[in-house]
Amino acid sequence: MNEVAKQDAPREVIEGRERRREAMLPAVDIFEEDNALHLIADMPGVQRDTLSIEVNDNVLSLEGELALGMPEGLTSLYAEVRAQRFSRRFTLSHEIEVEGIQANIDNGVLRLVLPKKETHRRRRIEIKTA
Amino acid sequence: MFGDLRRFDTDWAPGTDWFRRFFDEMWPDPGAADIRSVPRGSFPMINVGRTDDAVRVYVFAPGLTPEALDISLQDNVLTVGGQRSETAAEDEASAQRSHFRRERQQGAFSRSLALPEGLDVERAEARFHNGVCEVVLPKREELKPRRIEIKAS
Repeated sequence: MNEVAKQDAPREVIEGRERRREAMLPAVDIFEEDNALHLIADMPGVQRDTLSIEVNDNVLSLEGELALGMPEGLTSLYAEVRAQRFSRRFTLSHEIEVEGIQANIDNGVLRLVLPKKETHRRRRIEIKTA
Repeated sequence: MFGDLRRFDTDWAPGTDWFRRFFDEMWPDPGAADIRSVPRGSFPMINVGRTDDAVRVYVFAPGLTPEALDISLQDNVLTVGGQRSETAAEDEASAQRSHFRRERQQGAFSRSLALPEGLDVERAEARFHNGVCEVVLPKREELKPRRIEIKAS
């Protein structure tokens, strides 16, 4: 009896790993401009209502479900996209103003603007003439 | 839907070399290479599916407009080409940016793939939706599945 339980445990671990692998990592560009971080992610097939963006404990998570509207009875002949969803997480630095994050998705491309906090912006120091 | 292809990924046979198994799990193998397989990260990604009356090709081309995507068919070979790049003004701005990550494919691309025989190219249609281009290629009438009626003897 004990042995059966022992064999079952690793199988569950493998299945859990399998499930996690089924989400794709979207390709992203991240750059800094105008006192903000910009994040651009490729999520083809994801619409506004199938996308969820969350910030929890300084971790930004992007989750998007592919909505392709495929007909009934479609059998796949060849597939490079083998998952139903996109998922990616990023750790945010403390300088990001979480309340001010803006997002929009257009044509399968998600654009996020993550503004920096006022206190972390670049400041110009004026030099006074003596 | 395309997850169906996973059914070919069989489970580990008992008694497999644990060492190999360990390493295969650490660096998952993308699977035995299909003759049509392409390097990881090829752009755009393509899925092909079949229904009773048509073959459907899904081209995952985020950020492209229908005008920027060029799809052509010749001798049953479908070619998808185009250009994904920023405008000149944006290009200049981009050069001054400090990038932390640049994973998204930029520039020109072209991919071809062979389609099954017997498609009616004349009636092909393409639609673009949320960065995914769906090409519907109807099968020729004579190749559609036919139901055979069984007569009572």
